[in-house]
Amino acid sequence: LPAGGVSLRLRSTRVALEGINKPVIDRIIRVDHAGEYGANRIYAGQMAVLGRSGVGAVIQQMWNQEKDHLKKFNELMVAYRVRPTVLLPFWNVAGFVLGAGSALLGKKGAMACTVAVEESISDHYNSQIRTLMEEDPEKYKELLQIIKQFRDDEREHHDIGLEHDAAAAPAYAVLKTAIQLGCKAAIFLSERI
Amino acid sequence: VRWQLSPPQRALQASAVLSRVSDEQKKEPLASSSEHQFDSHPTDHQPEQEPHGPRPSYTGQGGQESEDYESEEQLQHRILTAALEFVPEHGWTAEAIAEGAKTLGLSVAAAGMFHSDGSELILHFVSQCNTKLSELLEQEQKLVQLGEAEKKPTDQFLRDAVEARLRMLIPYIEKWPQALSILLLPHNIPSGLNLLTSMIDDIWHYAGDQSTDFNWYTRRAVLTGIYNTTELVMMQDSSPDFEDTWRFLENRVADAMSMGSTANQVQSTGEAVVQGLMGAAVTVSNAETSRA
Repeated sequence: LPAGGVSLRLRSTRVALEGINKPVIDRIIRVDHAGEYGANRIYAGQMAVLGRSGVGAVIQQMWNQEKDHLKKFNELMVAYRVRPTVLLPFWNVAGFVLGAGSALLGKKGAMACTVAVEESISDHYNSQIRTLMEEDPEKYKELLQIIKQFRDDEREHHDIGLEHDAAAAPAYAVLKTAIQLGCKAAIFLSERI
Repeated sequence: VRWQLSPPQRALQASAVLSRVSDEQKKEPLASSSEHQFDSHPTDHQPEQEPHGPRPSYTGQGGQESEDYESEEQLQHRILTAALEFVPEHGWTAEAIAEGAKTLGLSVAAAGMFHSDGSELILHFVSQCNTKLSELLEQEQKLVQLGEAEKKPTDQFLRDAVEARLRMLIPYIEKWPQALSILLLPHNIPSGLNLLTSMIDDIWHYAGDQSTDFNWYTRRAVLTGIYNTTELVMMQDSSPDFEDTWRFLENRVADAMSMGSTANQVQSTGEAVVQGLMGAAVTVSNAETSRA
């Protein structure tokens, strides 16, 4: 599946900002940008440890898709004039540490991390899709398309993780719960600050 | 991004002071207080309570509901705009607002609609200046897009934008220090800060800033510092046409630009040093192995 296959047709770097629910869109783009940024760093951490192993190619491919996602959100951020979260430097480090840490638990550990994070992100995208549908599906058509596409990509990553024996990772249940709690906290904070 | 803000609590409901009758569909609410006399609306005796009526929004735009219906908010904006003419003489005070109300044919008691320290007048003025600046920058951007003007380099753009904005203070410069101190009152800080941050964000937006990382914050913080310090310098500047202030501004902007390149230089120097050390370490270890 080509990543970021939806093109946002912007005539200039700005979209019409009148008539949109700015606070809601602000939050959505800010937190999604932070999420893709964090995901990038997680995969970077995993590659640093497992880059030359058997799963290196798989992780690299998922990482490439996340890079495309981040690029798209960078564009949206400029177009909608949204402020990035102050916590970016923190997510930079935390993401890398999470990726590298889970990879040190082995290939299955890395896959378990992927499953946990991608599940959180898919659920999060789903709730955003619901919010936008409730607001005005027509007005936010392009944004909805992008988020739906990305949600599908993340779902795919989640499935790839499961295929690569994520469930056989050491302390899988605990690991998954802990990571998903962290994701919830990250989402909460990035929406607001 | 502009936010709706609530101004300081009004001392009294003073809509009844409107002595002008227009073909209004809406009846003006009547309120009375033991402290002031009001001109009451001749035919209206409905005590409609409107304690949370529309507040002046410091976005500089009043919404137009229908053609001959003027909202309270719009009326307040008109009074404050008219009051600005009297600020050089009376300062940011209720007197200036009262004089402004008079020129619109309203009773001087209209000043009672506003806080006695002139907060709303000052915030209204700041918001108006910011709107003017945005319009100016928008115009400039259009000219560049049409190819009728050259795109300015960033430092020049920032200098010109800050200068244009500060020049709007010149007619009121005598009384501006007073305004600054009022803006620092606790109840004005949220509104004042909002106006400042959105103005700075606007300037960077039109300057072409597309950062989506921490630079977003660094740039705005730096420009806010430049703006505030230049404003203070301007208060004490007595040179012809404030040329000392613009020179100060030029130097600060140049400092800010060089900060960026200095940071890069430090980073490349650091990287070069690390590489040098690595090379030295490899050489030494090779020498050791070859000797052994």
